[in-house]
Amino acid sequence: MTDRDEGVATRLRDVVFSYDREASLPDPNATDSDASASTGRDAVLRGVDLDVPMGSFTVIMGASGGGKSTLLRTLNGLIPDFVTGSFAGEVEVLGRDATATRVSELATDVGMVLQDYESQLFGTSVTAEVAFGPENLAVPPAEIDDRIDDALALAGLSDLDRRREPAALSGGQKQRLVFAGVAAMRPDLLVLDEPTSDLDPSGTRRLLSAVGRLAGGRLDRLDAVDRPETVAPNTAAPDDGVCTADDEVAWTGPETVVMVTHKIEEALLADHAILLEDGRVSRAGPAREVFTDTAALRASRVAIPPLVAAFDEAGVPTADLPLTPAEAVDVAAAHGLSWTPPARLDDDRSATEASATSVPAGTGETLGEPCFELENVVFAYETDRGPKRAVDEVSLTIRTGEVVALVGHNGSGKTTLAKHLNGLHAPDAGQVRYDGREVTDYSMSAIGRDVGYVFQNPDHQLFADTVREEVEFGPQNFGISGEALDQRVSQALETVELTDLADADPFALSRGQRQRVALAGILATDPAVIVFDEPTTGLDATQRDQFMRLVAELNRTTGLTVVAITHSMETVARYAPRTVVLEDGQVAYDGSTRRLFADRDRLDAHALQPPHVVEASNRLAAARDLPDALPALSVAELAAGLGGGDV
Amino acid sequence: MSATSLYVDRASPIHRLDPRSTLALVTALFVAGYTFDDPRYAAVPLAVAFLALVAVGGWRNFRRLSPIVAALFLVGLVVWPAFTQPGGRILLDLGPITLSEREVLFALGRSERIAVFVVGGLLFVTTTSNEELVRGMRQLGVPYAFCFAVGTALRLFPTFLEAATTVKQAQEARGLDLTEGGVIARLRRSVPLLVPVFMTAFRNVNTQSMALEARGFDTRSDRSFYGARPLAARDWVVVVVAAIVVVAVIGLRLAGFGTL
Repeated sequence: MTDRDEGVATRLRDVVFSYDREASLPDPNATDSDASASTGRDAVLRGVDLDVPMGSFTVIMGASGGGKSTLLRTLNGLIPDFVTGSFAGEVEVLGRDATATRVSELATDVGMVLQDYESQLFGTSVTAEVAFGPENLAVPPAEIDDRIDDALALAGLSDLDRRREPAALSGGQKQRLVFAGVAAMRPDLLVLDEPTSDLDPSGTRRLLSAVGRLAGGRLDRLDAVDRPETVAPNTAAPDDGVCTADDEVAWTGPETVVMVTHKIEEALLADHAILLEDGRVSRAGPAREVFTDTAALRASRVAIPPLVAAFDEAGVPTADLPLTPAEAVDVAAAHGLSWTPPARLDDDRSATEASATSVPAGTGETLGEPCFELENVVFAYETDRGPKRAVDEVSLTIRTGEVVALVGHNGSGKTTLAKHLNGLHAPDAGQVRYDGREVTDYSMSAIGRDVGYVFQNPDHQLFADTVREEVEFGPQNFGISGEALDQRVSQALETVELTDLADADPFALSRGQRQRVALAGILATDPAVIVFDEPTTGLDATQRDQFMRLVAELNRTTGLTVVAITHSMETVARYAPRTVVLEDGQVAYDGSTRRLFADRDRLDAHALQPPHVVEASNRLAAARDLPDALPALSVAELAAGLGGGDV
Repeated sequence: MSATSLYVDRASPIHRLDPRSTLALVTALFVAGYTFDDPRYAAVPLAVAFLALVAVGGWRNFRRLSPIVAALFLVGLVVWPAFTQPGGRILLDLGPITLSEREVLFALGRSERIAVFVVGGLLFVTTTSNEELVRGMRQLGVPYAFCFAVGTALRLFPTFLEAATTVKQAQEARGLDLTEGGVIARLRRSVPLLVPVFMTAFRNVNTQSMALEARGFDTRSDRSFYGARPLAARDWVVVVVAAIVVVAVIGLRLAGFGTL
């Protein structure tokens, strides 16, 4: 790590940072055992040494609250130039001393997309938004035109009406627009902090292919990873403004991309990986080496790539573990592994029950009374161009004890539909019944007691001085007090692993931690139904898994009904036996998740990207000519089908 | 375009003007409205501003502010007579309180004067996007830091409103009942609403300022303006007309027209 070669885009040495201005910083060279005893326990970065190879696509992963975002901020001088706190160490970016350079000066070379895209939008139109960065760099207006075209194409927003106001776009569109705004500055080093957190699967794919294309033509590799046989030319919804893959883009940079992400399957697209643990780099190297090092991944609370986990369980040696579905087929053949699908087309239900020890009970037909009944629900928003139907004639029945995933493109009406379930929206036409009565007949607090709703952004509800008070708020509103309250609150805090922080100020926590506080606040009200809007954004792999396991546990033991809006296909596969796909406010698919994932054409039609486990088992089945095989939905099922592990 | 922003995206003749010309036009309206005491004169710029506003698609914006305009006239009828002498016929006689014709005209004139500012201002923001406003001010020589601050303040307002709506929903979903109880109880219950709104705003401002820097924003160095162009013929026509209006209005006033 000490050799100084030309091929390094970014070099950090002994970087220590605390947001406390008067902090006594820990000694970056202290060993782990000293570190716990040393001063500066609140330091976020505790001695970071890292090199980002020039021309690489480097991914940084680690636990939520582990200092990833803070680390990125040193790469364009935000730390120490702009953020107050205590800093020590060396940061060299593209040959410049970043600690001694102003952020706006570094901005010519370093483009940075921060995590919270809402507050990175400055323009009142799409055009103005993308032009803002180049204007700041004093790019001549005539050239800005080209840059806008290029940047929007890269972000997959070519078809977007450029006069639209950024604030009126869907979350995923906003996130891509921020990316376009930074890309238009044509940086040599592109730094991305969870750039796909709110993107639908096709949006994620497009953004990453843009990134891959930029970082030295890795687009080919991306396609090889995803789907070598069936590349659908343009499977995305037209209303989301997605471009076709062959948009001409003149710009060839940036040479180097650094990305923070919690999504393991997207991290596998990188060629270099860095793991952070307790404010230090715990593992760095070529992506293949790092992502097959299960011990290091576990220690950093990073998800083990699903195929690595499954083939490891099936007894494949570390050196041969596959990262992608395509590799999985070859590895299975090379190691003589068989493939027994967990289910066949004609016995879907028994298969679901076979693995009932780890997944929720099943789809509607085996379950209890109707919980929600939606009949021809219509909801329209007023716009300048007249009313637009966000929910268009939706009819659904959700039964008590079901776990239903609600998926679809950014802007397909998922959130709008979900808000009908607890009366936040009343339908313009049609009916929404809960427990046989119309939701609009319930008072807000009566329906709120039964139907917990976890919002996308935790900051929209945190207000109390301590985490405990925050979690107490809901149950108190519903009239719970004394010992019962204490017990619920403690249990909820334990569930989300925040017992230690019960007396902390919620505002001082990291995004992932704040998300967990919000979740605890709903869990403590002990609802009969929970509606989640993107429950796992901002959670790291361990927390997400823990959280979803808990939800599954509650579902099995107490019959909790769960409706989850999510873009995470892994979550859908693993935890939701039933999936509803929304497209333009209408139900495009409603049924078994396993069958949905077995149907390539349908997945393409809805622009859904199946998770690696599913993709791998579909390929294994195809290679063995098993047309009626249904795919594995979890690592355990895949491992079992390969003849290893036990379910 | 959204329900919260005042700018209306149209291709009206006023929208197509350079922001500097729009500013000249609105300034002429302001001067005309301010110069005359007689409401019959002040009504002319007010009517012009109002008709122009409706013509460019700003009726929605006017409707939003119409309660304020209505209140302006009603309260004005009570307040303004205190600033002038009674004269002419007595229109209203309530014992100790009387309203003379002169007082009513004076109050109307003053209220119209303020209404011209409101409606003229609306006309400006309805037809001028933030970027145009900032660009126009900058081209008139205003320091960029100041221009940007004005633009940001105007832009943040809608964002703030949107956050407030979401916060309200989130807390209602957690059982916060905003309808029942007395004043104190309601005040106490507003804490869960206000804190997240302000904290979100605060956090946004923090990220926003970081994001600004990261996008190369720097008031100390040169920047370019996308969409900047020299004044076209139609822009000059408007500027000249505006100048003529200003001169004519002042001339009329000096000749004794429009006084009470």
